[in-house]
Amino acid sequence: MAPSRGLHHLLYILNPQIALRNTRRTFSSFTETLANPTKKVQTYISRSTNPFLNLSIEDHILRTSSPSSVILFLYTNAPCVVIGRNQNPWLEVNLPILRPCPPKAQKSTGIEIGIEQPGLGPISLVRRRSGGGTVFHDKGNVNWSVTSPRVAFTRDKHAEMVVRALRKLGVGRARVNERHDIVLDQGKRGRDIDAMDTHRTPYMDETGEEMRKPLKVSGSAYKLTRGRALHHGTALLASPNLDVIPQYLHSPGKPFINAKGVESVSSPVGNIGLDTSVFQKQVSEQFAAMYGSGNERVPVQMVGEEHLYIPEIKKGYDELRTADWVYSQTPGFTVTNEISQDTHYNEKSRLASKIQTPDFQISMAVRHGVIKDCKIEETRVPIGELEAFQASLLEQKLQDIQDWPAFLHSKTSCESKELAAIAKWLGKILYTPEIPRD
Amino acid sequence: MAARLSVARTARQLTSSAVRRPPSFVPATCQRWQQAPLERRLFSVSAAVKEKKYTEDHEWIELSSDGKTCTLGISDYAAKALGDVVYIELPQIDMDISAGDTIGAVESVKSASDILTPIGGKVTEVNSQLEAKPGSINADPEGEGWIAKLEVAGEPEGKLMSKDEYTAFTEDA
Repeated sequence: MAPSRGLHHLLYILNPQIALRNTRRTFSSFTETLANPTKKVQTYISRSTNPFLNLSIEDHILRTSSPSSVILFLYTNAPCVVIGRNQNPWLEVNLPILRPCPPKAQKSTGIEIGIEQPGLGPISLVRRRSGGGTVFHDKGNVNWSVTSPRVAFTRDKHAEMVVRALRKLGVGRARVNERHDIVLDQGKRGRDIDAMDTHRTPYMDETGEEMRKPLKVSGSAYKLTRGRALHHGTALLASPNLDVIPQYLHSPGKPFINAKGVESVSSPVGNIGLDTSVFQKQVSEQFAAMYGSGNERVPVQMVGEEHLYIPEIKKGYDELRTADWVYSQTPGFTVTNEISQDTHYNEKSRLASKIQTPDFQISMAVRHGVIKDCKIEETRVPIGELEAFQASLLEQKLQDIQDWPAFLHSKTSCESKELAAIAKWLGKILYTPEIPRD
Repeated sequence: MAARLSVARTARQLTSSAVRRPPSFVPATCQRWQQAPLERRLFSVSAAVKEKKYTEDHEWIELSSDGKTCTLGISDYAAKALGDVVYIELPQIDMDISAGDTIGAVESVKSASDILTPIGGKVTEVNSQLEAKPGSINADPEGEGWIAKLEVAGEPEGKLMSKDEYTAFTEDA
């Protein structure tokens, strides 16, 4: 790959026009190969670690690959938090710690994260197109993705393929669980079981005195379209960040958000302890063994940043990076000071939250990321000021309010410190970091 | 569901053949309990064009008797294949849509799928009950679990199948 990139680079310097034309031709062939009905089994690995690009390439594969083909795509992303298609970022993610801001700004917005900031630098927030829950990605993961005909598709078959790859690499504790995830059993070795059974291991420890919970090492999420099914998961191979991941996935506003849509199920996770390239190679081999015909080799093809030249990929990439996609695609939810009856929002999560239950009454309804209704009751605030504030919030997009106290002052002339406290409280729950335009 | 369909089918046969057959062939009691479904489904009985039609994407549409509005939903087959639905995104009322557009989305067992419309028009009504109880679409996808009603503009696009053709299509698949 390197020599051709070098040549391409040279061409670009000599004559950008020619290089651009050639580049376009090369990358339009990616689409053609995908759509070629005679190429039934294809494998791609991405050189890019840009989550937006990798997800867009994956979506392009789903949309353009020939109806009867099966495509494997492997990629690794730079650190990011990825939420499911129908999830609520304010509920699933600790948004204030994604993009560390200077302490001064923290003070004005009331977002005081202080020393709890894990030193990972800026983390992208990504909403993917498939369903399921929230995951943290970093360089210690390999994302595996299989696009196949929907007819023969089952929710387990590709997780089973990955388990076969793991076992081949000596990870005998790996199995597929009832949630279609891949887990490593933690028990003592017990009775031997059928080695081909990808749903059971000798380490299941059903009888042991100390039941140790299996550790999740890969999830599963799906996107279904006409005739096609995409199944992907994030295999935790050697993440250096396991200790800080929970901080990113615990939202301080959770006890005060009552949401429709899909809530994540949190599981104890662990590293498999494998090298990226070893895992990629073995998964590719298992994929070829599963779908390849006879001795025919399935060549591994590389994709990368240059695929942004493909207009459809660029379009998907740009869409994923809009605030409208990340924030406004959130299913309807309400913000309230009353603790939800739902068992998920129990006393424990309220106590764990850094945000105090306020002594005013509030009920705010948000739909498509826009405030549709807001009722606040706080007797200490003059009714006129309260009404002006409520009116200014109606039809307001959450993504357009970066700093709630500043928003309050720009919209109303009020001086009431109780009202300022309400704005500050809302800012803690609905903090909406800007999507960087880089 | 199956029971109601077979009632509808029996009713259809009756309207066409009852004239030729001696009245005694149909017991009076039987006619009476057929009254309700017949009234509701009169249009689909009288005009072949207006019976429920299915798409290859497993949606169904049913035109009103005057052909100006239609109801849209997902098929029994689709609901079973999806599994327990945990979230449904409905279209917005008054939204203008074209044939082939996405008018909603469902999520079930970690799977996101889009709901497409085979016909264009304007959304006049949505089944808001599905938002509160997404799982109810699994109980009766072709009845109570309808998704939206449209004021129809233009002709449906793409392949539309009758119930029998659709059944054959899902069995082939």
